[in-house]
Amino acid sequence: MNEVLVRSGGLYTTVQDAGRDGYYAIGMPPSGAMDRYSFVAANMLVGNPDSAAALEATYLGPELEFTDPRTVAVTGARARVTVNGDPVPQWTSLRVAPGDVLGFGALSAGARPYVAVSGGIDVPEYLNSRSTYKLTGIGGFEGRALAEGDRLPLGGLQAPPRDGLSVPEEFLPEFPEVVQLRLVVGLCSYRLTERSLESFLETTWKVTKDADRIGYRLRGGTIEFVEREQPFGAGSDPANVVDLGYPIGSVQIPGGNEPIILLNDAVTGGGYATVGTVVSADRDRVAQTGTGGHVRFTPVDVDTAVQARLDRETRLSKLRAVLGR
Amino acid sequence: MAETQVRLPEARYEFGGDEFVFVELDREMSLHANFKAMAITGALREENIAGIVDICPSNASYLVRLDPERLHPNDLVTELRRLEHSAGDLDEDLVINTRIVDVPVLFDDPWTRETLLRFRENHQDPNVTDLEYAARINGFSEVGELIEAIGSAPFIVTMLGFVPGLPFCYQMVPRSRQIEVPKYVRPRTDTPERAFGYGGAFAVVYPVRGAGGYQLFGIAPAPVFDNSRSLPDFHDRIAFPRPSDILRYRPIDRNEYDRLRSEVEASTFRYRIRDVEFSPTAFLKDPDAVNRDLLKELYR
Amino acid sequence: MSTMNAQLPGVFYRRPTPDHAPFVEVGGKVEPGQTIALIEVMKTYNEVKADRSGTVSRILLDDGDEVEAGQGIVEVDEV
Repeated sequence: MNEVLVRSGGLYTTVQDAGRDGYYAIGMPPSGAMDRYSFVAANMLVGNPDSAAALEATYLGPELEFTDPRTVAVTGARARVTVNGDPVPQWTSLRVAPGDVLGFGALSAGARPYVAVSGGIDVPEYLNSRSTYKLTGIGGFEGRALAEGDRLPLGGLQAPPRDGLSVPEEFLPEFPEVVQLRLVVGLCSYRLTERSLESFLETTWKVTKDADRIGYRLRGGTIEFVEREQPFGAGSDPANVVDLGYPIGSVQIPGGNEPIILLNDAVTGGGYATVGTVVSADRDRVAQTGTGGHVRFTPVDVDTAVQARLDRETRLSKLRAVLGR
Repeated sequence: MAETQVRLPEARYEFGGDEFVFVELDREMSLHANFKAMAITGALREENIAGIVDICPSNASYLVRLDPERLHPNDLVTELRRLEHSAGDLDEDLVINTRIVDVPVLFDDPWTRETLLRFRENHQDPNVTDLEYAARINGFSEVGELIEAIGSAPFIVTMLGFVPGLPFCYQMVPRSRQIEVPKYVRPRTDTPERAFGYGGAFAVVYPVRGAGGYQLFGIAPAPVFDNSRSLPDFHDRIAFPRPSDILRYRPIDRNEYDRLRSEVEASTFRYRIRDVEFSPTAFLKDPDAVNRDLLKELYR
Repeated sequence: MSTMNAQLPGVFYRRPTPDHAPFVEVGGKVEPGQTIALIEVMKTYNEVKADRSGTVSRILLDDGDEVEAGQGIVEVDEV
């Protein structure tokens, strides 16, 4: 049958892969798994290619019933995970049989669990990716989050099962109380007064309820813009600039008191001054920081940003070697 | 027009983390800055550099997305600086091969009117419609004159984005004749699909229903974005507008709107499109003459 | 006495809309599956359902309070 039955969709569970590149110029963000490290690790555990489509849940995981023998793995946020009601370990490959039900209890740390299934989630590709982009309803399973009764197609090609394969402790992510996000300051940071930029970097920001795949709205301080006569075409608000492209991970501060970090399903451009960009490797950390969580920004230069990304990929390569995948 | 005399400031190169390079050509909007962004990004596209993922010209700036594992952002900036001087100087003989397109718009329509009345408390002037407000602050004695001004000269697509397929359009007239309006005081949570809006100095057509902050003037019968690619103009592309497209927003009446809507629903609608060669320098010298020729070509 | 916890982080509401009466009051009875509150997060209002039966002895949050996953929201005396 090659499918998995969705008995409950959880709060917001979507099919995601490595993302849909090449359409930013028409205004379409890449989407894709927000926490790349956890996503790739899950695929490694079940013997899938790194970019195979998997499930990204948010806060409340889904309940899934299998209809054929599969290997599954749950990574990402720390959660109570069960098979047929019995607790099972995360970051570990698990064999499931027809009729087995994978379920979730509450999370104890992080925000997004990832579920990979051997063979991958085999929804049709849209513009070369299986990632869900909900705003225009494309990709993934019917362009939306999973709901009770959905039947998710699975790929037929599975790696030989390796039950009990487990990610060693030193390769597990940490979930600190205050999450440090490395930020390349720039773009339109000239709009901030020097003191405001300092205070922006010294503030511990709290993630509000408005935090999803498009972006995270933060609260915890106020900043001031440099006074100026607004340039032609920019609009009248001091936070406005002539509409421009927004990098993924960029931070803007509409109104001066609620910074927004743009993420994988970001709007690709607009008229708010951007003041810096979270390095791509640290979007993994953003993904695991939920509403009520705290973040701080640490300024770094572009070389550090590139190195952070290379370091994450090196870590994944080492994990691959350890797992023998 | 004044813009030919103004030299653009030094371009500003900024890193958007490890995955993006942002280049600001000017802080204020001008056709000159946009033509330069188009020229540099066009030249960059032709170079086919490994590691470049997306090239996004945007009004008075541009954004490049890259794969830092294949191309270091510093190396990209070196190349972009070189292109700024070789391609960004807008030679006399630079010609852009583009399209001029007839885009019908029903102004003061019932759908955007219903929406804007629902969000009056988000607006600068809750007592009048968006069109009445925009006409007043731009010195027109009545709404009809504002609509006529929008229809009188074409717009050029200076950026795509915000959401897929949304064209930012800048009217091809000297700055003294530009229409300029603020965005809503607080954004609306709803905007009809295909609404024609105006914010800052930009006109847009909203591709999908959703939030928005631009003043609402009307609605287009034809889409700018089509997921299903069912309309002929969308067979090879889900978003209709392209950067540097020249769009003429043509005011239409309700009868024509209804007729075009049924064509869209029957998947037979096609935009009126003419391929044109466009010279930025000729345009900057005599915009009215170039616009006349463009419109003549469109309705030939 | 036992405490029912939020499964989601977000903003807590005791009533379906500002004009409605609260889902439960102190002294009221709850049954498993009964909606006792809403938590707003990611632009959706999610029903919080009782997971046991009992009598509400204390409500730990007010309308509009921020709530974290795992935080207690009501105390009940179990039957």
